[in-house]
Amino acid sequence: MGFTDQEILETIRMFELETLDIRTTTLGISLLDCADPDIESACEKVYAKIVLHGRNLVAVGESISTDYGIRIVNKRIATTPIAWVAAACGERDLTPFARAMDAAAKVCGVDFIGGYSAYVYKGFTNADRALFDSIPRALAQTNAVCASVALGSTRAGLNMDAIARFSELVLETAALTADRGGLGCAKLVCFCNPVEDNPFVAGAHSGVGEPETVINVGVSGPGVVRSALARLGPQADLLAVAETVKRTAFKITRMGELVGREAARRMGTTFGIVDVSLAPTPAIGDSVSDILELIGVDRTGAPGTTAALALLTDAVKKGGAMASSSVGGLSGAFIPVSEDAGMIEAVRVGALSLAKLEAMTSVCSVGLDMVAVPGDTPVSTLTGIIADELAIGMVNHKTTAVRIIPVPGKGPGDTVEWGGLLGTAIVQDPGRFGCRVLHERGGRVPAPLQSYKN
Amino acid sequence: MAKKFITTEDVRRAGAGSLVVDSETIVTPQALEYAAQNGVRIVDARGAAWSEPTPDRGPDAQRAMRTLPHLPEPASDADVGSTQMVVVTAVGRNRAGVLAEITAALSSANCSVHDISQKMVQGFFHLVLTVEVPPGTSFAQLKAVVECLGGQDDYVCRVMHERVFRFMHRL
Repeated sequence: MGFTDQEILETIRMFELETLDIRTTTLGISLLDCADPDIESACEKVYAKIVLHGRNLVAVGESISTDYGIRIVNKRIATTPIAWVAAACGERDLTPFARAMDAAAKVCGVDFIGGYSAYVYKGFTNADRALFDSIPRALAQTNAVCASVALGSTRAGLNMDAIARFSELVLETAALTADRGGLGCAKLVCFCNPVEDNPFVAGAHSGVGEPETVINVGVSGPGVVRSALARLGPQADLLAVAETVKRTAFKITRMGELVGREAARRMGTTFGIVDVSLAPTPAIGDSVSDILELIGVDRTGAPGTTAALALLTDAVKKGGAMASSSVGGLSGAFIPVSEDAGMIEAVRVGALSLAKLEAMTSVCSVGLDMVAVPGDTPVSTLTGIIADELAIGMVNHKTTAVRIIPVPGKGPGDTVEWGGLLGTAIVQDPGRFGCRVLHERGGRVPAPLQSYKN
Repeated sequence: MAKKFITTEDVRRAGAGSLVVDSETIVTPQALEYAAQNGVRIVDARGAAWSEPTPDRGPDAQRAMRTLPHLPEPASDADVGSTQMVVVTAVGRNRAGVLAEITAALSSANCSVHDISQKMVQGFFHLVLTVEVPPGTSFAQLKAVVECLGGQDDYVCRVMHERVFRFMHRL
């Protein structure tokens, strides 16, 4: 066999002590063939197709866990954006689709299903508008359904009308789920340059170029990178830090490659991508913030944080790219504030402001994620925060996203407990200056010069 | 061409009697329920009651089933063939009989040890066994038998598939 004890113990340590896991195996399912002029028939088809394809997803995931001794934490489903499926029925209220997806998710035993989605880079179709209008009720009435909307891209620019409407939806969703701290907003995300094979919720969906069915794997492991850097110590220079992260990311991604192949084979479908993303959880040690602090900032948010995060994200991508030909999705480092114990602490001690977080998102793999703001934040301010974030993505040819939660009845500095994987948040101060006129102008931010490549 | 889906509305339109569907057709649960309530029989071309089709995963899936087995696997020194190899590790306080307990459990599952290594540090041991599992043996059962050995203040045993180590440490 030729493995050294050291190699074997390293692997065991990663799984046992450093919380290495496969974060998700996500089954993408095309629902385009479910379109029907009659909404009830369309919803019946959506339910039947998801259940037919997704029924054995959990069992397959568990069989791989058993056979290989690898934890697969979540099994999820991503569908075609529902606005495309619903267009044929011409209805104004699309919540029946959300209920059908939710019921199917329950039967399949998955905790989340993504795909209550629309692409509106340049404008709305009637179905897109109907989907937007029904998002708050859809999220309030269902448990498993996640909504994601694409509001801009480098090719198309930013649709400011859609961003303004999205901001209203965020406030409406928070109000409808006020009894749960506005938690509906945790299932609602907007994108610039969306990733169409993203296996992670809330943004998971199966986009326009995706096959009939596909298995995408999300692999995590901030705890492993953290431990590797702790062993490296503070004397090593940054090249050594990058090398350590890269080697570690390589090993983590190989597990994703193994599970992806095996899951595709057992499901009888295509292996899509491995998304190697350091995705923190509230568990001690499973923190991207801890990694940044080990690289050398006193607290996440201190000067140097953006540089450290840039190094980390890049090294993760490089290690991943060597480990699998199928690396895709978002791949890099996630910085969901409420889900990372270190980041919550950084906000609590005043090290991490909203402005610094925005700067960090220009080099992380996603964007402003799980950020709590006061429940009375004006809609125009939300529009400004979202437009800023999406502009970073548009100009830099990268995916950026916003998952923001205006917590009803809470002000800056207040704490909100969502529990479970969603963690705890401290409400951040968006400042007292707004952008009312920008919000009211509407229209589009034209595509940047970077888009003219042909 | 046969309909891909049969919904409640389709059954309603079909009226009483039998509704003949293609073997690939997906009949929604709501349609099945409506048909049962209204005495409509949903049957295939041979007159047999409809049964759920095998999921059609799409054209890429068919290609994937042909090509997936040909993806390069990380190199292995051993001729694994049709047998499964697993790596058993144990860590804990040393005492008489630890190795015997573990190998007895493996022996009862007809496993044969290919490689073994044990180190001691200040009264604690770590043990690594590479084991061949005969075809037909359930990995889950073996894992259950081995991982319940030892205990909290004694030692802890873990079983992982050899392929995990190969993917992580070999190209």
